[in-house]
Amino acid sequence: MRQAGAYSGLLCGGVAGRTGPHSLPLARIKKIMKKSGDDVKMISGEAPIIFSKACELFIQELTRRSWIIAMQGKRRTLHKEDLTSAVIATDLFDFLITLVSDSDTRSPGVTTTTMEVETLYQSSAT
Amino acid sequence: MADGPSSPGGGSHESGDHSPRSNVREQDRYLPIANISRIMKKALPANGKIAKDAKETVQECVSEFISFITSEASDKCQREKRKTINGDDLLWAMATLGFEDYIDPLKIYLTRYREGDTKGSAKGGETSAKKDVQPGPSAQLAHQGSFSQGVSYTNSQVLRWFFEL
Repeated sequence: MRQAGAYSGLLCGGVAGRTGPHSLPLARIKKIMKKSGDDVKMISGEAPIIFSKACELFIQELTRRSWIIAMQGKRRTLHKEDLTSAVIATDLFDFLITLVSDSDTRSPGVTTTTMEVETLYQSSAT
Repeated sequence: MADGPSSPGGGSHESGDHSPRSNVREQDRYLPIANISRIMKKALPANGKIAKDAKETVQECVSEFISFITSEASDKCQREKRKTINGDDLLWAMATLGFEDYIDPLKIYLTRYREGDTKGSAKGGETSAKKDVQPGPSAQLAHQGSFSQGVSYTNSQVLRWFFEL
């Protein structure tokens, strides 16, 4: 008997308990990959699977680094400005600078240096 | 690589199209915000909250991340005259662009995925194969045995268990 496979998409993206093995939809990842350039035509099957995990790691790192900024401002809610500051303070995220500073909502009071965030991030990482 | 950040960035969102979040093809451009929000929450302490603008920004950043890595991997494929971007190309691109910390967790993830995948399909294939290959009188009992145990034994294991009784 044929059943909905774990990777068929039927079991993906549901409520936490019923989500498939990947936390992000593979078809969508593939679409975004194809939009990266005209010469991106063929993508191996495991490429979106790698990205589903890589994106998870990326989101977590970006979130944690932004949270450090929010905490320094004694806030418990993560805002866009925190992300902007985290991107600016992290060399790894240089490729996001144009994106986050587009609408330039960054508050002028942000004084956290790269070193500070780096040290705090490294010490908070488990 | 120094040319990394400049080239892929432009390619991801059509140059000039900076109208923020034009709803037209949002499904094609971003991953679902609910999934992103779920992953973000996991990275925060229980009392941490996330504003909507933060979720949307992360959503955009993730698409940029995918494009950034894919472009680098795609360049490599072109240089090597290959047409298909594979997993190793992506891992290479991530390492090149500074995400080397991701490589080990990704390799582990991929190994687990492959193991899980083969186990899953083997289990499904095995039961149907047994039915076809084993029409003997013991086949049915052997099947019952394996099902009641709730473990997928190989044919020989089940038979040995059956005859030892």
